[in-house]
Amino acid sequence: MASITVASAPARARRIGVSRRQWIGLLYVLPAVAFVTVFFVIPLGMTAWMSLHNWPLMGEHAFIGLDNYFAILRDTRFWNALKFTFYYTLIVTIAIFAVAFPLAIFIERPRPLTNLYRTAFFMPAVVGFASASLLWSWLLNVDSGLFSPAAFDLGLTERKVNLLATFQPAFWSIIAMVVWKVAGFTMIILMTGLQSIPQDLQEAAVIDGAGPFARFRAITLPLMRRTLALALILSVAGSILAFDQFYIILRGGPRNQTLTAVYWIFNQSFVSFKLGYGAALSMVLLVILVALSLVQLWLLRKPEGLD
Amino acid sequence: MRRNTVKTMFAKLALAAAVIGGGLQAASAETANIWVRADGSNFMPRIVDAFNKAHKDQIKLDIIPNAEIIPKYGAAAAGGTAPDALSLDLIYTPSFAAAGQLEDITDWAKSLPYFSSLSPAHVKTGTYKGRIYGLPFSADSSVLIWNKKLFKQAGLDPEKGPKTWAEIEADAEKVNALGGDIKGFYFSGNCGGCNIFTFTPLVWASGGDILSEDGSKATLDSPQLRGAIDLYRSMVKKGLVPEGAQTDTGANFFAAFAGGKIGLSPSGAFAIGALNTQYPDIDYGITFLPGKDGGWSSFAGGDNFVVTKGTKKIAVVKEFLDFAYSLEGQTILAKYGSLPVRGDIAKEALKDLDPRYQVAAEAMAKGRTPYTVVFNDLINSANGPWTQMVNEVFFGDDVDGAIANAQETMQSIIDQAPQK
Repeated sequence: MASITVASAPARARRIGVSRRQWIGLLYVLPAVAFVTVFFVIPLGMTAWMSLHNWPLMGEHAFIGLDNYFAILRDTRFWNALKFTFYYTLIVTIAIFAVAFPLAIFIERPRPLTNLYRTAFFMPAVVGFASASLLWSWLLNVDSGLFSPAAFDLGLTERKVNLLATFQPAFWSIIAMVVWKVAGFTMIILMTGLQSIPQDLQEAAVIDGAGPFARFRAITLPLMRRTLALALILSVAGSILAFDQFYIILRGGPRNQTLTAVYWIFNQSFVSFKLGYGAALSMVLLVILVALSLVQLWLLRKPEGLD
Repeated sequence: MRRNTVKTMFAKLALAAAVIGGGLQAASAETANIWVRADGSNFMPRIVDAFNKAHKDQIKLDIIPNAEIIPKYGAAAAGGTAPDALSLDLIYTPSFAAAGQLEDITDWAKSLPYFSSLSPAHVKTGTYKGRIYGLPFSADSSVLIWNKKLFKQAGLDPEKGPKTWAEIEADAEKVNALGGDIKGFYFSGNCGGCNIFTFTPLVWASGGDILSEDGSKATLDSPQLRGAIDLYRSMVKKGLVPEGAQTDTGANFFAAFAGGKIGLSPSGAFAIGALNTQYPDIDYGITFLPGKDGGWSSFAGGDNFVVTKGTKKIAVVKEFLDFAYSLEGQTILAKYGSLPVRGDIAKEALKDLDPRYQVAAEAMAKGRTPYTVVFNDLINSANGPWTQMVNEVFFGDDVDGAIANAQETMQSIIDQAPQK
């Protein structure tokens, strides 16, 4: 009897210790929880609630169930905007990685002026998207900008070409601007991935006679899986939510060919003043984005047996 | 209409700050809060100041950026902090009234002895289902301006503006022939608001229209619209219009002509005040926007004065509007950039001002405003059918397709508009 009592006492003490530690842990995360609740969970809940209403900017709102969602099914301009958003995301993600990867490899190893290069390549990433868009909308201006007048003055074109007047040059101008702005950030992420690869693996491969391409394919890429997943998800999510550059530089033009999904949500909410419908569109976009991120995580998951 | 350069906006914000700061005076009397969009930041602080000096009741003025005043008002109304009254772009009056946001002021309006001489276009847009929700406050008409110096250089009579479409094109061609940076004609080719203001008068003056009288039908498929389009297309094709026009969303609407290298440009009465004060070196003439073979028309723009439903300060608001309608009020408005809205005393209010205002005032008196609760969706939106159409028909290849497409989209937007 006595032995049991003696044995149970430390166990209870341990239990109390565990629960106290849990409480302290909770206390530590409380600010974060409060932050997420106030700035994410509650607004999200309100958006979901609004999406079930006919909610004009002014006047009375009325509960209409899922009518907004049924309306989305018929909203061809939204689906077209979404199609364009996917097209843009595909192109811009390829372009960003095509530029960021070589840059990352270039700046990864210490060499003269490495820090200067790193800073220079990363610099545009600290400019806000809106400011960068304003800067480029001036650079791209046909009458008072840089590119068209410069090309004309150098004799490259017969007359000043308005880059923003037709789809292809306008679209690729935006791609160039986004790559200029974002590639430096992706480069830094990829660089940290490159640096985390143990040098002896590379050396072993060299001794085994593997060429640079084989080493890149068999060692660098697989070991960067997680870094790639992070860079890819950030890039894809950012691109699907693209708005500023198309709004500020192109106004969705030429001829509404560059309306993105978020642009359409903005238009429905603040041009047509249909807040409820805009909320429903936002929920649909959220679901699409979450699904896409899950797919990417699954594709880039750790294969069994590795590491 | 988007015609504010960043520079003038800063000036206006500074002015707004000064006014808001200085607006608090006698605490005993009632103080009503009024909002105005940035376009009114020149005349509104002056008239509010004059009112506050002469009255016990006071007005507190807030100046809101053009693009933000509607969403901001909507949010404020939902939160119960809306201003007592608002000087509102007149085209929004029907949709605000339809939303049940405005006080019915029919009886008071009709009791005004000069009610019948108030700007008819304003009163028309201020009326919803037979009741009056908005009364004219500020006014802006569309006119054609030409650069006298360039006209002289091109061998044209600098005192004579064009009176038909053919004359517009011929004059623009002559000025354009001066070469160099000088171009014959300018318009903002990717701006719906600019073109409803300056392009549709060409159509109206020739007998066409883009919407039916009650706003229930889009009527784009008309020979008059097609003719006006052909005029612009021809000038674009001949290279009389700068390349930048194709993508100008309104930022250059005024600035292009003010640069002094454009022969002719459709513009607004506001340009008189802006040119006189900011670009005194430019010698310009003002005439009506003509029809194909003569005649003329104008858009009637500006603000309606509307009262927020349920406000307790309605007496102060009425007192202020009474003051604005007095000869003193109308003169202040005219002096600082708005046309008078009272037809019976317009001449008197303008008598000491630049004589070119008389043309603009006359244009205002016969001005027209399309009536629709979905003006923003149809016309002003940068992605709406009207903006897309003007860009396509002036610069694209498929004019008929663009018109048909816009006609269909506009009609479907009108049909889907909330009917209350």
